[in-house]
Amino acid sequence: MLPALVRKTWRDDRRAVLGWAVGVAAFTTIYTSFYRQFQGAAELKQEALPQGMLDFLGIADMFSPAGYLQATIFSLVGPLLVLMCAITLTARTIARPEEDGGMELLLANPLSRTAFAGQRLAATGTAVTVVAAIPLLLLFVVVPRVGMDIPLSNVAAAGVGLIALVWCFTGIAFLAGAVSGRRSSVLAVTGVLAVAAYMANAISGMSDGWHWVRWLSPFHYFIGTDPLHTGWHPVELLILVAVGAATALAGVWAFDRRDVGV
Amino acid sequence: MTSDYAVLTEDLTKFYGQRRGIESLTLQVGAGEVLGFLGPNGAGKTTTIRLLLDFLRPTDGSATVLGLDPRRDKAALHRQIGYLPGELSFPGRETAGDLLRFFGAARGGVAWSQVTGLAERLDLDLSRPVRTMSKGNKQKVGLVQAFMHRPALLILDEPTSGLDPLMQQEFLAMVRDARDAGQTVFMSSHVLAEVQHTADRVAIIRDGRLVAVERVESLGKRAIRSVEIHFNDPVDPAEFDVLPGVSEVTVSGPVLRCTVSGRLDPLIKVAARHEIVDMLSAEPDLEETFLSFYYHSEGAGDASRAGA
Ligand SMILES: Nc1ncnc2c1ncn2[C@@H]1O[C@H](COP(=O)(O)OP(=O)(O)OP(=O)(O)O)[C@@H](O)[C@H]1O
Ligand SMILES: [Mg+2]
Repeated sequence: MLPALVRKTWRDDRRAVLGWAVGVAAFTTIYTSFYRQFQGAAELKQEALPQGMLDFLGIADMFSPAGYLQATIFSLVGPLLVLMCAITLTARTIARPEEDGGMELLLANPLSRTAFAGQRLAATGTAVTVVAAIPLLLLFVVVPRVGMDIPLSNVAAAGVGLIALVWCFTGIAFLAGAVSGRRSSVLAVTGVLAVAAYMANAISGMSDGWHWVRWLSPFHYFIGTDPLHTGWHPVELLILVAVGAATALAGVWAFDRRDVGV
Repeated sequence: MTSDYAVLTEDLTKFYGQRRGIESLTLQVGAGEVLGFLGPNGAGKTTTIRLLLDFLRPTDGSATVLGLDPRRDKAALHRQIGYLPGELSFPGRETAGDLLRFFGAARGGVAWSQVTGLAERLDLDLSRPVRTMSKGNKQKVGLVQAFMHRPALLILDEPTSGLDPLMQQEFLAMVRDARDAGQTVFMSSHVLAEVQHTADRVAIIRDGRLVAVERVESLGKRAIRSVEIHFNDPVDPAEFDVLPGVSEVTVSGPVLRCTVSGRLDPLIKVAARHEIVDMLSAEPDLEETFLSFYYHSEGAGDASRAGA
């Protein structure tokens, strides 16, 4: 039987998780299912936009199936959706109950501080992973059906990359909440980092002098390797997972060492 | 040795940055005892309680609860503690019943009959979502979750806040039952009347410092009472003025009025030299004595300023 706190966390987050899951699923299916119909429009879009803008949006070319998938699901809106889901759900692990006062009764359960933080994170981490895995699972069905000519192993690499990216930011969001106990800090810190990381990756592709910044950006490790064309890049994925794990552990450590609810 | 005490604090101190929460609080609560923890707003009651539960970490000093270290042994300790927060806020949106099932499961399983028994006693509807409940009914949910696993130690922060008088009586009966079952109760309150009849001892805290820890009866011994003695013949006030604890002596003919703090003995001994017709003594006003602690750390003697 799963720990009571894990089940309770899932029950409290049920609606939010369901909402995000439906949103991400709808977004993925709608964009990919209408691949053929979008083709014509995509060409127009590509001609209408200057190359620099396309680079910034992470759109290499929209004609090839891989380019189309990258442009629609994996470049901007897809990561944005799942990251927003991850950050808001993670803000609920510690910061939200601490701010609204529900923490007192949660923390009065017979668990050590570290076990408490660990179980909250485990519960939310699972929920976030489920949401982040939705594009991967749906693409496995949709890509062959609409006749996109991309190896499924490459789709898997990109989909898993999205999960790894989400883990990375979940860890960061958890650390921010565990240290500050404030939702606004979680949203601000993680949101700013996510935007900065996205910009760093985008800018480094546009100007040669800034090439090195990409190494600082989680987005580079997720999509800069171009998994839809080149397949798996385990080292890059492991870096994302490692950052997520390290920040999560730091969060558990920090939460064990501070006053709660002051 | 320490395990004879349910709660033991030594020089417990908590500063919030520069702001004082409590300072050098040394307090013992015996196992099986009911302690009323009294003090005005901002005195440090909640701070003390949250230190005992390891939500806050002391700036200095230490606390031992049920012989355990609040931080190191948190898991084992919290299994034996029933806690009612002073500012109740419930996690989630489920019904009272579902929420209590969670608390039960988290504490390793609690007989459901225990929960329904308490709910019945407090006249609480378990099928309603806690969020939609009135303040008093939320308080009842808080009380049920604190008592439901029959913890060795109950730590209750302003347990009666929001309860109507009938439910306050029921709550006090629950505390007495808990004591009879050998449980220790540490409850904070603002008013003496609330704990007077249930608590074995009261601890009074003011401005972060403990100003008195006394048995409820001895608080009565320090109480102020007004006394009126009717003699057969006129008496000389000077005879009574000098007595220890006697003050505000006024004599009109054969009638003497005065206030006495502490024991009546010296006054009676002197009065007995005369022929007494009648004697009136008001019940000692504990509340007044107690209020004096709120304003003057010395307590008895200055009650007139605090009283009406
Ligand atoms: N989070 C906090 N940050 C700063 N100061 C605090 C904090 N919590 C409490 N204090 C201060 O510590 C002191 C004690 O507060 P505490 O809440 O323990 O009082 P209390 O006895 O529970 O009062 P009340 O009867 O109003 O509940 C007060 O001066 C208060 O302002
Ligand atoms: Mg308080």
